[in-house]
Amino acid sequence: MIGTALLAGAEHGLNRLLRLDGTALPRLARLAGRVLEVRCTAPELTLYLLPNADGLRLAGHWLGEADCTLRAPAASLLHLAASRRKTAILHSPEVSLEGDSATLLALAEILQDLELDWEYELSRWLGPLAAPLLAGSLQHAARWSGQSLDSLRQNLADYLAEESHTLVGRHEAEARFAEVDDLRLAMDRLEARIARLAHTLESSDNA
Amino acid sequence: MNDPRKGREAEPTTHFGYQNVPESQKAQKVAEVFHSVAAKYDLMNDVLSGGLHRLWKRFTIELSGVRRGNRVLDIAGGTGDLTRQFSRLVGESGEVVLADINDSMLKVGRDRLLDKGVAGNVRFVQADAEKLPFPDNHFDVVTIAFGLRNVTHKDDALRSMLRVLKPGGRLLVLEFSKPSNPLLGKAYDAYSFAFMPLAGKLISNDADSYRYLAESIRMHPDQETLKGMMVDAGFERVTYHNMTGGIVALHRGLKP
Repeated sequence: MIGTALLAGAEHGLNRLLRLDGTALPRLARLAGRVLEVRCTAPELTLYLLPNADGLRLAGHWLGEADCTLRAPAASLLHLAASRRKTAILHSPEVSLEGDSATLLALAEILQDLELDWEYELSRWLGPLAAPLLAGSLQHAARWSGQSLDSLRQNLADYLAEESHTLVGRHEAEARFAEVDDLRLAMDRLEARIARLAHTLESSDNA
Repeated sequence: MNDPRKGREAEPTTHFGYQNVPESQKAQKVAEVFHSVAAKYDLMNDVLSGGLHRLWKRFTIELSGVRRGNRVLDIAGGTGDLTRQFSRLVGESGEVVLADINDSMLKVGRDRLLDKGVAGNVRFVQADAEKLPFPDNHFDVVTIAFGLRNVTHKDDALRSMLRVLKPGGRLLVLEFSKPSNPLLGKAYDAYSFAFMPLAGKLISNDADSYRYLAESIRMHPDQETLKGMMVDAGFERVTYHNMTGGIVALHRGLKP
């Protein structure tokens, strides 16, 4: 019962979020009737997702047949939820997918494309004057934080690669990898040539 | 032989809460209770169960295995909590029938569902659970939530439900039952007989109806007895899940 209560609470919150996006619910309505089973292998946990025109239904049990079953450890599921390149993660060995993968990808795309109208929700609580002021300040703060984080990341990468030489820079590493690939190819060719010469010598000796 | 008193004495009786009443009067008395509480039924459910009835119904939906295109019968559907959720799950190609013997409850349910925009795949039928007016092998799922204890002939009702189910169809009976822990049972008794009639008096000015509710729960068969009754009616693979320490149980059986 506790699990059911937690899922009901999560579902209520999630559907409130989905209603902040003007396109999410009509897109979810197109997936109505599908059942997605998400099985977390470590720790063991099963969650069923049922999209409908009112949002997403979350269930801990579902006796009906699932259209798509995704099995993965928690880390991969989190990575899958956050990453934009989902196909690569779905092909990793610890992840297995059975059934209609298009439904899963369509649902993931809807959730990833969410553009929540926070300003509208804020205006309901704070009024039409205060909401844009607060929203503007929050957007400015978010932009500044994003730019600062990018700048910090770039400076740290430059320092580690160029000044402390703790790490190899991306371009340098790519050049080395290309050289190693060329060398491996040359070695393969040499091996093939030696084998052919050895074969030729062996056949002339026998003659 | 022709003494009319003999005929009256011969009429079998049944329980109405803790009272014994002639069988022919039970349906009328139950109807009076529900006519009285219909207007504030949802509010009272939330107050008396602390909102838990929503979780019990949610679990019922999860175990129903309902799919798009299914035909569902919600008996004693009352104000339509289950019907609303089934309506979404079966989609436009499916159908949900909300059946209730009490026209006041049916009207409240119909108005409430229409207000919430639930229409198109829902039908409202005033029907007696003992004599369901539907063809044989018609529904994929039949549910009866907090309704079976008010039925006079429960065996007849279960057989009627079996008849209208398709082979492989599921019956789900959500009903108050017997707490598995004696201590919880004592606390629950105190709550039922002290708080419930008081809340009924304060909110809907009707303590008697809620006293009947508490008494009828005590008179309802416990988990194992109801399981046996479902097996006797012809259901297979009958199982039950206790919820909130057995205060409520969900029985599930399949039609062979």
